[in-house]
Amino acid sequence: MELYFINKPNLDRLVKNLSKTYKIFAPVKADNKRFYKEIGENGLGDSVIGEIRAVEAIKSFYFPARTKIAEYFSKKTSNKEEKPIAIIGVKSCDLASFKVMDYVYAQEPFRDPFYVAKREEGLIISSDCTCYGETCFCVAIGIMPYPTENFDINLSEFDGGYVAESGSSKGEKIIKEYLELFQSAEPYMEKINSNRKKLKEDLLEHVKKSDIPPKDSVQGAFKSKFDSNLWEDVAKTCVECGACNIICPACHCFILMDQKNGNSFERLRMWDSCLLMSFARVAGGANPRKLLAQRMRNRFDKKFNFFFDTIGRFGCTGCGRCTEACPGKIDIREVLSKLQKS
Amino acid sequence: MMIDNPYLPIKTEVLDVIEESSNIKTFRLKPESLLHFKAGQFVEMSIPGKGEAPFTPSSSQYEKDKLEITIMKAGRITSMIHSLKKGDIVGLRGPYGKEYPLSEFEGKEILLIGGGVGLAPLRALFLALVHDIEKYKNVLFCCGSRTPSDIIYKDCVLDKWQNLDKKRVKLRITVDRKDDSWKGNVGLVTTTLDNLDINLKNSVSIVCGPPIMMKFATFKLLEVGYKPDQIYLSMEKNMSCGVGKCGHCRLGNFYACKDGPVFRYDKISHIHEIWD
Repeated sequence: MELYFINKPNLDRLVKNLSKTYKIFAPVKADNKRFYKEIGENGLGDSVIGEIRAVEAIKSFYFPARTKIAEYFSKKTSNKEEKPIAIIGVKSCDLASFKVMDYVYAQEPFRDPFYVAKREEGLIISSDCTCYGETCFCVAIGIMPYPTENFDINLSEFDGGYVAESGSSKGEKIIKEYLELFQSAEPYMEKINSNRKKLKEDLLEHVKKSDIPPKDSVQGAFKSKFDSNLWEDVAKTCVECGACNIICPACHCFILMDQKNGNSFERLRMWDSCLLMSFARVAGGANPRKLLAQRMRNRFDKKFNFFFDTIGRFGCTGCGRCTEACPGKIDIREVLSKLQKS
Repeated sequence: MMIDNPYLPIKTEVLDVIEESSNIKTFRLKPESLLHFKAGQFVEMSIPGKGEAPFTPSSSQYEKDKLEITIMKAGRITSMIHSLKKGDIVGLRGPYGKEYPLSEFEGKEILLIGGGVGLAPLRALFLALVHDIEKYKNVLFCCGSRTPSDIIYKDCVLDKWQNLDKKRVKLRITVDRKDDSWKGNVGLVTTTLDNLDINLKNSVSIVCGPPIMMKFATFKLLEVGYKPDQIYLSMEKNMSCGVGKCGHCRLGNFYACKDGPVFRYDKISHIHEIWD
């Protein structure tokens, strides 16, 4: 798609204009980490567009942790009209998670109307990573540290400003609407491409230490370790907190819960964790994954076996958030590495 | 414009509650709008404001004005369901899942084998087969229960169905343990598979019941000479959404709610957890 250059003051102007039609979120820094904060008509301020991914995945913008998905047997309460959401500073790993989310929620039959609406009306302004985090390993599983898909506009940051790439007709339309803020990207392409190349090489060097199997052999390596006691070892420090499921951009399992609310009944959809004991248990008491080791193995089964067969990609984006979040210090890179060891 | 909400239940009235056994009841239901299910598909039934659970209707798919579900009291939601009375309101959504592939059974000798409340989905299948009995060579319905009082659809199993079509429809009934008045066969339901008078090359077998019963029935069928692609199973899994999204019912590369619950045995025999 098309490439343009936009300087920092003009990007700020663009964001302020977009805030009229969108509820805009951008990463701000706190305690050396990045968190999404709503920025309004005040513009970018000290938002951090580059660096690395935010602590949270963007999935909560598309399917919130706890949301009402049906109100039944009563008069409908009118829904407040809300501005669609725009997120700035989305990184490549978050964009990769859309492949999983779209497959789960937006595929026929029975498309999830709430997710589909948010996908259609939302705006994604992604950005290149300008460095990597300690636990990042996206390149080891074939995901680049710069966006290549699923964005509306991508921003590649450097000292003078940003190279903006449109990734969709929605992104292209916005750029054309504010064309006076943009210039030709020609003079800056070499800088951007060399930045990307360097970051990719640096990150490849960093992940070498983790000795993760080549992408195309991960599934086979997992299958070979199916009956091994590796999973008991991995699960030893797991406390079944579900933090990995909550923080993972590609984890999407949920549970439906009904409750009474005044005169009507509500159905809520809430994030669920496959590591919890009762996830697969049936009413009669049978449980195909009674042991924590089985549930631990099942999570890897789904991410590196099931999704590889079903969508040709892993249900993992290499973002390393699970490693950061786990109180039991379980490192997904170590587990992947152990799959290929005897 | 919002696309259809798959999570929204339809208002449904309980027309009748029939006690089948000490812990199994059949609920005759009338949803506000018709729910055209095919035998083998399931619906999600909800107690308003309390929760939902998946069940396979047991009535005939050709009966338009009512829908019957046979439910065993086993957990939180089924306990609430068992407290329902005529006139109560529940929710239904569906039908979901893949139905029994009736067209693949045409011209064949069909063996149904069910245990306990597993007879419920098989009843829907049996009624669908009997509705068009001339399409099939014959039907043998093997029914097993723990004791005579645990037999569900007693009047059908012990009387009505035995006299439907003496040539083409036969039943074999057994109980694990008899009582004082039982004059019939005693033995596990797998014993009904002894001495079959069936041309195995032109037969299919459909199994339904508790996982352990399905496991041993399947193994016995294989022993007797059925091939894995001649055996159909109803896989029971923890379900929440029923539409292939929440992840709870994943079975290998399949979702029981979307790719099942009816599975042909050869397609799932490699999956490690099918009998758990």
